[in-house]
Amino acid sequence: MSDNNRNKIDTRAIQSILKENKKQIKLGLTMCAHCSMCAESCFLYMSKDYDPEYMPSYKFLNSIGKLYKKKGKVSNGRLEKMRDLVFENCVLCTRCYCPFGINIPSLITLGRRICRSQGVFREYDK
Amino acid sequence: MIKAKPKPLEEIQNYVESFDRILITGCGGCVSVCLAGGQREVNILKTELALAHSQSNTNKHMDGYTVERQCNSNLIEELDPIVADFDCIISMACGAGVQHLAERYPGKPVFPAVNTIAIGVDLDIGLYEERCRACGECVLAYTGGICPVTRCAKGLFNGPCGGTNGDKCEISNEIDCAWLMIYNRLKEQNRLEDILKIQPPMEWKNQVKRTIIQKGYENRYIDK
Ligand code: SF4
Ligand code: SF4
Repeated sequence: MSDNNRNKIDTRAIQSILKENKKQIKLGLTMCAHCSMCAESCFLYMSKDYDPEYMPSYKFLNSIGKLYKKKGKVSNGRLEKMRDLVFENCVLCTRCYCPFGINIPSLITLGRRICRSQGVFREYDK
Repeated sequence: MIKAKPKPLEEIQNYVESFDRILITGCGGCVSVCLAGGQREVNILKTELALAHSQSNTNKHMDGYTVERQCNSNLIEELDPIVADFDCIISMACGAGVQHLAERYPGKPVFPAVNTIAIGVDLDIGLYEERCRACGECVLAYTGGICPVTRCAKGLFNGPCGGTNGDKCEISNEIDCAWLMIYNRLKEQNRLEDILKIQPPMEWKNQVKRTIIQKGYENRYIDK
């Protein structure tokens, strides 16, 4: 929910979102062949001179993927890095395409949802 | 992007007066960018409403939840299990988001917390200006990139009215005459002949709900 204390990570809340979406996350992590086919479908990746940190797969693997592997345990610093990845490096235009059928925008959305659950989100006047 | 402005607190308070469990929903899209209805504004509204309720000795349960975009059904889905616990919803999204929630949760009253104002540009942080009214028949090509629908008080399509007051509009000395600006811009670009082309009257399609189907997608959405 929106009013969590920003400095104290509520691991249980993160774990409950991870649990609720376990199937989808696990599927994404196992199915990703790191083929980078999704890269060119992302206009941000293309317009940022092929910066790998804008690659759709990079964005979900290093946000929700990492959180899943670490069982929801994350430091404030790491969560803020993740925020930059899922909020700044992606506009959620939902145009990215994975030939294996991974729903990348939905996984990035989950990353955002976890950030939001901890009061970590993009502020447009900063 | 879409620009919105928060409604006065008293107005929102009136909407929810008779409800005990109130869910305040934010949107991570345009209204976050224009600082009107993102997660931070949800937190602020929640605090303000709680204070108002405690001052009037009313006991209400409130919570806030922000989804990435209220205009996309895949992205509002996550509200499904939450909404059930509340009597009404306050939406801090634009009018499209509010209606989208109202459609998805027909049993729950949905109240807007912002006034959707315009499609506009960011002049500075917290400062925005209208540039487009989504009229559906863009005329910027022959008006030197200046929109007569939003910038001319009368929305005239074929040159100025007779009331131009120097370089100002007759309705106010503070508003530039859009058609003078259009004239000057076209003159500068040596395109004054464009101003002479008579434009047919606008079909005010925004009187009815407009649906946008992009080229190439017709077969998918239009029944033969
Ligand atoms: S296209 Fe799909 S499988 Fe390939 S790297 Fe991107 S997400 Fe992974
Ligand atoms: S949703 Fe994000 S990752 Fe996918 S194409 Fe759009 S900007 Fe790129």
